[in-house]
Amino acid sequence: MTSFTTFYLSGIIGKEVFGADGDAIGIIRDILINASPSGDDNDHGRQLLTGVKLKIKKETRTYSFHTFRITKAREALNVTSSTLVELKKEEAENGMFLVESILDKQIVDLNGRKLVRVNDVRLVTIETGTFAIAVDIGIEGLLRRIGLSTPIKRVLSLFKINIPAEFIIWDDVQAIDYSNFNIRLSKSYAKLQTLHPSDIADILEDLGKKSSTSVFSALDEEKAADVLEELEPHAQVHIIESLSVEKAADVLEKMPADEVADILDELEDEKAELLLKEMDTESSQEVRELLEYPDNLVGSLMSTDYLSFSPGITVEEVIGELRFRKPEPPELYNMFVTEKNDELIGTFNLRDLVVADPKSFVGDIMKKEPVFLYDDQKLQDIAEVVSKYNLLAAPVVDRNEKLLGMVVVDDVVEDLITERKTRKRNKIY
Amino acid sequence: MLKKRITFFKRAAIFLAILGPGIITGSVDNDAGGITTYSVAGALYGYGLIWTLIPSFIVLLVIQEMNARMGIVTGKGLSDLIRENAGMKITTLIFLGLLVSNIGNTTTEFAGVAGSMEMFRISRYISVPLVAVMVWLLVVKGTYKVAERIFLLFSASLLTYIVSALMGKPDWSAIGSAIVRPQVQMNTQSLTMVIALIGTTIAPWMQFYMQSSVVEKGLKMKNFKYTVIDITVGCIATVVVAFFIMVACGSTLHPNGIVIEEAKDAAMALEPLAGKFASQLFAFGLFIASVFSATILPLATAFYISEAFGFEAGIDKKWDEAKEFYVLYTGILILSALIILIPGAPLIKISIWTQTLNGILLPVVLVSMILLINNRKIMGAYVNNITQNIIGWTAVVVLVCLSLALLLLPLVSN
Repeated sequence: MTSFTTFYLSGIIGKEVFGADGDAIGIIRDILINASPSGDDNDHGRQLLTGVKLKIKKETRTYSFHTFRITKAREALNVTSSTLVELKKEEAENGMFLVESILDKQIVDLNGRKLVRVNDVRLVTIETGTFAIAVDIGIEGLLRRIGLSTPIKRVLSLFKINIPAEFIIWDDVQAIDYSNFNIRLSKSYAKLQTLHPSDIADILEDLGKKSSTSVFSALDEEKAADVLEELEPHAQVHIIESLSVEKAADVLEKMPADEVADILDELEDEKAELLLKEMDTESSQEVRELLEYPDNLVGSLMSTDYLSFSPGITVEEVIGELRFRKPEPPELYNMFVTEKNDELIGTFNLRDLVVADPKSFVGDIMKKEPVFLYDDQKLQDIAEVVSKYNLLAAPVVDRNEKLLGMVVVDDVVEDLITERKTRKRNKIY
Repeated sequence: MLKKRITFFKRAAIFLAILGPGIITGSVDNDAGGITTYSVAGALYGYGLIWTLIPSFIVLLVIQEMNARMGIVTGKGLSDLIRENAGMKITTLIFLGLLVSNIGNTTTEFAGVAGSMEMFRISRYISVPLVAVMVWLLVVKGTYKVAERIFLLFSASLLTYIVSALMGKPDWSAIGSAIVRPQVQMNTQSLTMVIALIGTTIAPWMQFYMQSSVVEKGLKMKNFKYTVIDITVGCIATVVVAFFIMVACGSTLHPNGIVIEEAKDAAMALEPLAGKFASQLFAFGLFIASVFSATILPLATAFYISEAFGFEAGIDKKWDEAKEFYVLYTGILILSALIILIPGAPLIKISIWTQTLNGILLPVVLVSMILLINNRKIMGAYVNNITQNIIGWTAVVVLVCLSLALLLLPLVSN
């Protein structure tokens, strides 16, 4: 007896199942696997088969896989079943149907960090059960589906050409199109959370509307905020509009005010107002101020998340404060020194802090007469200032020299790229 | 008063932002194949077949509205939806058919380029390779979106057909009565002509193009009425141009019994009857329309096929990332250009076979579309209403009957 049998999903769908007495029972329509990873180390990288959707005469029902046996004799698959035990509704709902949710659908290839279309699923039967082990995304899978794999391979083998097979192992597969949305979503998309926010954003942009919303809603708030920041404007609008106002406001609060202002700018006024009212007052106030600036001025690109200190505190105290506040990386690009009325008098960066004597005062180590931008200066001036003085972030002040925020080089670059993109917008064609 | 004006400007701004997919699709629709078919129909039957434009317009409008609605609601292209819901075998069938018919269509576009440039005494061995290389570079290395807008502007030159038509001094009362009292002759030739007219106005690849453009624009159901206006404008543009081409040829060539086979013949034949200017205008319009469609067709085809079979696609990808897509795109372009350059290539046969294939594919695509758009799992509340279904299914039945009649008539008459 062979210890294992491998087969393809396309090979088993539509097959007739035979009973113990050799009579045909019904036709296989779909098979069910565990939706969430079992956690068992032995099952690493594969997904246990739990049920079979059978069409018996006119009726289609899902039965437990326990009573089924799959064998292979001379390349032909045989499926037999001693008795039929119908699966309980909740058991079926906790699983995922392969034809319904995987075959021909788009999935995320976590290793390649992109969306791919599934041509077939590879399964294996071993002593402990039958498992889904990989999805086939190659040309060979395509040909197999239309029944041309063997003849074409035979012809090509005469010329010593191989059709390369392309598989993604189950560990790297993240299904997207769950048709029964009542399974706990956050768990279903758990694998996706491991990707970088930019990669998740790229994937969301390529997904259909329903799927992108449901994937986004499953992300935790911090991740969701990071992903939203990376999305293209029209995708941002779609996501925000499809979320409930409360949920959308929660996510927006986690984002830097300048990014929020950019998104709200794209929304309709009433919707933006609704979201601002729902957000906590501190965040919404900052956003409101930024929204006042026209698109072509420095103020519109400025971030209001920055760090400023008075000249009289010591380097040691500053570092202590940083440890306590755990600021986002851009806030550390450049830090500011202000007088009581928020007037900017100097700047320093992380290097200045590290090399200074812990007991020295900020006022002594800071660069005096700092380079700055006015909030009502034109956007084009930023690139000039940033490159001339090699700054990662430049302070922004109003005409009274009062510090308002800073412009970060990342945002400048992003702005330049989107400007080029609108000139060369060719995502699809 | 002031408030009213602001909302008017706001509406106008929304409309301008949404504008595009319908009008572009409508313009691409009047390609070399279309111009040829309208010219031939006009020369052969005079005003007799102008009435076909009315049912074509209605069906075109209904179909494109469905495409736009599906694109907006699902955010997915038509090929995605077909692959996900119709299974592998039907998908393969549709897209193989689409590939072959679009190679044929692109060949017709290059025939248009060759023909129109020969009017200006430029050899096809210069014009066709030049245009092919230009188109390839424009798409792969250039700024396609800008090019698309320039083309759209140029496609206004199709309105030159109105001038050409008026210079032929058409008989308006005869046109009127031909539309009001349509006459159908039951023979293979006129039936072929009717199918070709409908097939060229409602080409299967347009449905894929329309839906993808809507998805790419990220339009919303909230502003759907503006999208419908966009589509209507596009459909009217298509039909108006078709009407004037048929009138131009019907009022000059038909009374003189001049039979033509290519659009270029129409341009040349117009010269003694309507003047050199009218003839050159006709040729210029043909050239622009051909280049426009020769740019969009191969690109669109490569894109839908890649989408359906899960290949990476898009011209923002590098060659290595989207090899299948680039091979398809370049292959279609080169193959179509080469066919034109073969001395004595059976261009008329190719164009007839292409249109027949279009005619067979169209009902298949339409049936898939109607099934998809009535699927509540996909469309939710935005499924078709009864009127839309009646028009859709009637179109399918009529098209199938016409195609069947075309196949069976030769057998019966013998």
